[in-house]
Amino acid sequence: MKTTRKLTLCAVLTALALALSYFESFFPLTAVIPLPGIKLGLANLVTVFALYALGPGQALLILVARCLLGAMFAGNLSALLFSLLGGLTALGVMSVLSLCPGLSLYGVSMGGAAAHNCGQVAAAMLVLGGAAPLAYLPVLLAVSLLTGTLTGFLASLLFRALDRAQFKRS
Amino acid sequence: MRRSAKLRPDPRDLLVAAVIVLAAAALGAALWGRASAGTSGSGLTAVVCVGGQETDRVELSALPKPETRVYHGSGHTLTVRFSPSGAQVVSADCPNQDCVRTGLIDAPGRSIVCLPARISIQLTAADGGGVDAVIG
Repeated sequence: MKTTRKLTLCAVLTALALALSYFESFFPLTAVIPLPGIKLGLANLVTVFALYALGPGQALLILVARCLLGAMFAGNLSALLFSLLGGLTALGVMSVLSLCPGLSLYGVSMGGAAAHNCGQVAAAMLVLGGAAPLAYLPVLLAVSLLTGTLTGFLASLLFRALDRAQFKRS
Repeated sequence: MRRSAKLRPDPRDLLVAAVIVLAAAALGAALWGRASAGTSGSGLTAVVCVGGQETDRVELSALPKPETRVYHGSGHTLTVRFSPSGAQVVSADCPNQDCVRTGLIDAPGRSIVCLPARISIQLTAADGGGVDAVIG
């Protein structure tokens, strides 16, 4: 893929991730499960796609750009630590899991969702200076099975749609 | 495309799910195991931390009647109601209101966290039976 094309794709994916983050703010999971930081994690779909389509390096760039721009647009720089720690942990775990033979997008996404929650709880512990947020982690991990499955399902739909559109997939 | 994506669920995905479930169960057992030994609402102490510093400690079982206290942190204000049955954030001016939606906590190990205000309220058993740390 040419550099210009790759750069453009990264920019589009960053914009898409920001749009998905904004979109899911209209459907707060916290209204159902009142735990700080719990959400569908739709932006993780872009990370999964970028990981497989472009590789971990480009996925990392998109993730960092998304976190920085998201914090800037929201005017909430304190959220940067949460999104960065969660996102980086998720990307790291998914990068490793994607190399495991046999694991599908579902397994990789579940691992990423769980890792994202671990990263965010770690960020909360850093911000609060105590272990109180750890009490939320068991429930967050359980919920990550559902949100990870959702992300995996959406990612598989996306790749199937791209196949049908005759995009290259190796 | 750098890596081939396996689109259909694979039985091996269950291994990932099993690891997550086991981690959640182990952590949950460690955090709340001791809580199940105590009776809900009896001998509870609420520890309030603002910005990582303990600022208040309320012996819930010693309260003759429900009591409301106000805490400030990072430009936000939380109103917390303490009673012998537990603690609850009744109002807050934080943007997400997660602390209010958490509702009443009534067992050792349970906590309410308000991230924007950097305030946490954690219940411990009067004998210090609450969870201080998890190892391993």
